[in-house]
Amino acid sequence: MSTHDHFQMSPRRKAEYFSPPNQIKQKVGSGGLTEDILSKAQALIENNSVDFRPIAEIYLESMQQGINLANQLKPDQGHEEVIEKILVPGMQLKANGGMFHYDLITRIADKFIQFMEVVEKLDADALEIIVAFHTTIRAILMAEIKGDGGKRGEELMQALVDACYRYFHKSEDARKII
Amino acid sequence: MTYAFDRIKVLIVEDNAPMLEICRSLLMAFGVKDVFGTHSGMDGFQVFCKEKPDLVIADWMMEPTSGIFLTEQIRHNTLSPNKFAPIILMTGFSEKKRVIEARDAGVTEFLVKPFSARDLYKRVAQIIERPRQFVRTEEFFGPDRRRKVDQNFSGFLKREDDDIQKRLEQRLRMKEASLSLDKMRDQAGLEKGDKIDDSKIDTDPYEIDFR
Repeated sequence: MSTHDHFQMSPRRKAEYFSPPNQIKQKVGSGGLTEDILSKAQALIENNSVDFRPIAEIYLESMQQGINLANQLKPDQGHEEVIEKILVPGMQLKANGGMFHYDLITRIADKFIQFMEVVEKLDADALEIIVAFHTTIRAILMAEIKGDGGKRGEELMQALVDACYRYFHKSEDARKII
Repeated sequence: MTYAFDRIKVLIVEDNAPMLEICRSLLMAFGVKDVFGTHSGMDGFQVFCKEKPDLVIADWMMEPTSGIFLTEQIRHNTLSPNKFAPIILMTGFSEKKRVIEARDAGVTEFLVKPFSARDLYKRVAQIIERPRQFVRTEEFFGPDRRRKVDQNFSGFLKREDDDIQKRLEQRLRMKEASLSLDKMRDQAGLEKGDKIDDSKIDTDPYEIDFR
């Protein structure tokens, strides 16, 4: 470190530490929970009879609104806000699908999030992939494909993952040309 | 003896009504009797001030006010009755940048949806058994963002299912690999720290048993 750098250093930040009393521990004591209690709790999740479809439709509709906005975007306009509008309902589908027996939706929406987290521009190619995810999730709901969807579920998943790979290869090629 | 969860109050803030009911029923199965539920960050803060729960479980993305908003109110609002209250933030996001965003807002634990009963229990148990100290800097107030050093952690095999036998086997493998390296050094007439010249070694490196 040079003398100049030394004198340009920002002052060290002061941090104050607290160890508040562990009130919750004082109240609940020790011992944890038994396997029996955890199994019964897990059964509540597995046996819930909530119909996920109306909830999922709200998220799909919200995602569609984001897609419509994206279709009107010009290349020089800020895409981040619209990406977030499409991404958040996708996250909700991922979060809730598996809680209400639609594990395949959770898996597909998880891939969708991964895709959206790295997309920078909502160009025609990216939108094609987004619409493919949207259509697939809607089809799963309409067909009431619960659980992992078996072999068909695996095929759907793979087709979407392949589409994402094709998109990224194409984007990479475009960058090389530029 | 099990945790006496009937002695604590829990607030759940979740805008998805069925999800809120699942969380409520899980906590009741754990033994919690006082579970309060609301649907937005702002409503959540009002209930928090009134009921003074021991634990808050909140969804991140809610309209009109989020779980992050609620966290900020609990940590910074002068009306907050307990700025140190443990907060578990639920979300479908698991990307690192999102986790950091939540951590920087002052949440205590992060629970990725979908989750199992055991996942929720683990977060609650973590809060009970490994509470974080709080830190205040010019820009941040909340649970210390660094985990405390675990003196028992030996540096490998972090997973829960890694039992003592597996750790011993791992140590044995490392010892054997170390002995193989010593043998190579002896054959090459080298000391520890010397640079290895391939031409001086008779042993085929692929013969070293790293398994």
